[in-house]
Amino acid sequence: MKKPGQSKKGLPPAVRRKLRQAIYDFHVRAFGEEMARVNHLPLAARRRYVAEMVDHATQKGVKFDKPALGVTP
Amino acid sequence: MVNKVMPFSYAELEKFYEGMVRRARSRGIPCAITSGMACVAFGVSGATKDCDLLCAPDWAGELLDLLGHLRLGGHLPGYRGNLTAPLDARWFRGGWTSHFEWAPAGSGAYLDIFGVAPRGSSPWVAEIRGFYAGLHTVAEMKRTQRDKDWPFVTALGAKMLQAGDERGWLHIFDENLLRTFGAAVKEPEKLCLRRPLLELAATNDPRLRAALRAEIEYWHELDRARLGIYEKAVRPYMVAVRKAGLSPAAGLVEQHGLRVKCAERHLPLNPLHDYGIPRMILEAREALAQIIQPAAMAWLPNVSEHFNLSAP
Repeated sequence: MKKPGQSKKGLPPAVRRKLRQAIYDFHVRAFGEEMARVNHLPLAARRRYVAEMVDHATQKGVKFDKPALGVTP
Repeated sequence: MVNKVMPFSYAELEKFYEGMVRRARSRGIPCAITSGMACVAFGVSGATKDCDLLCAPDWAGELLDLLGHLRLGGHLPGYRGNLTAPLDARWFRGGWTSHFEWAPAGSGAYLDIFGVAPRGSSPWVAEIRGFYAGLHTVAEMKRTQRDKDWPFVTALGAKMLQAGDERGWLHIFDENLLRTFGAAVKEPEKLCLRRPLLELAATNDPRLRAALRAEIEYWHELDRARLGIYEKAVRPYMVAVRKAGLSPAAGLVEQHGLRVKCAERHLPLNPLHDYGIPRMILEAREALAQIIQPAAMAWLPNVSEHFNLSAP
């Protein structure tokens, strides 16, 4: 079944290749080289990395809770 | 001696929240994890630990019942903070959020539940991917007033494009990507109707930068306006909950009963609707006009569809 918004005709292969590289470059610009690499890891490895990063930050006293405002930004 | 609370690890929490979604769905409750944890799953990682959960408003009562039995580290959850709306379909439909936490304080187990995806232009239940809300829903939700959220929007849009979903173009806010690939949009008329600046992207028009800046600022203003409406509406309820002074040891059922009682008297069901969505949009445009080039206003999207789901 076609998902919402899914087009049968995708982008031509050459454009897709160029797009893939441009997206990677965007990740480097927006998130930095390390997170760009992490974002392109397989899911299990990515989750492991994020888990280690968050747990390390928590041990160092970083709080991740957002204020309970009764509404979501 | 000071007892130091050991926070739950990320992996423990992730497993716990996914298990919660599985149990909820086994009861027929439509729900999905969204925001930060969904982003990690979609390949746009950030440091997050709390869980945002979308739940169909009509199933709020069922979900509350499930939460009442959901232990983590031997503890049951409780409501968090005096601003938290009760997990009840009436307020859920109106865009309120219910916040929960598992004891002991500092364990790091926080859960935010809401029924209406902020800025969602289509029903999120139609786009669920595994444990998570769909990319389109998550990307729309990330259009907040926080600058840090915007690279996530673009990255999610890019994922959609790679998966062959043309709606990804609605979420690309990176000028370089738009200029390079704007001409590759397959159905430009349809998408330009929803996002006029794609026309500028398609022709690599020099006005694109100003239009893009204006669009982002527009979403910032809309988010500020929406939050302001809710913040004002919640004050009498917050005072009532605070005055009630329920014991922190009270169970979830007792906490819920008290919040419903306070909400019935003091919490409007749908403040956004009461205020007027067209009025809110107009005020956001007026605020925007103070800070951007007038010519860029012509390229703003029609945002009404992003607030239709908030209507009763």
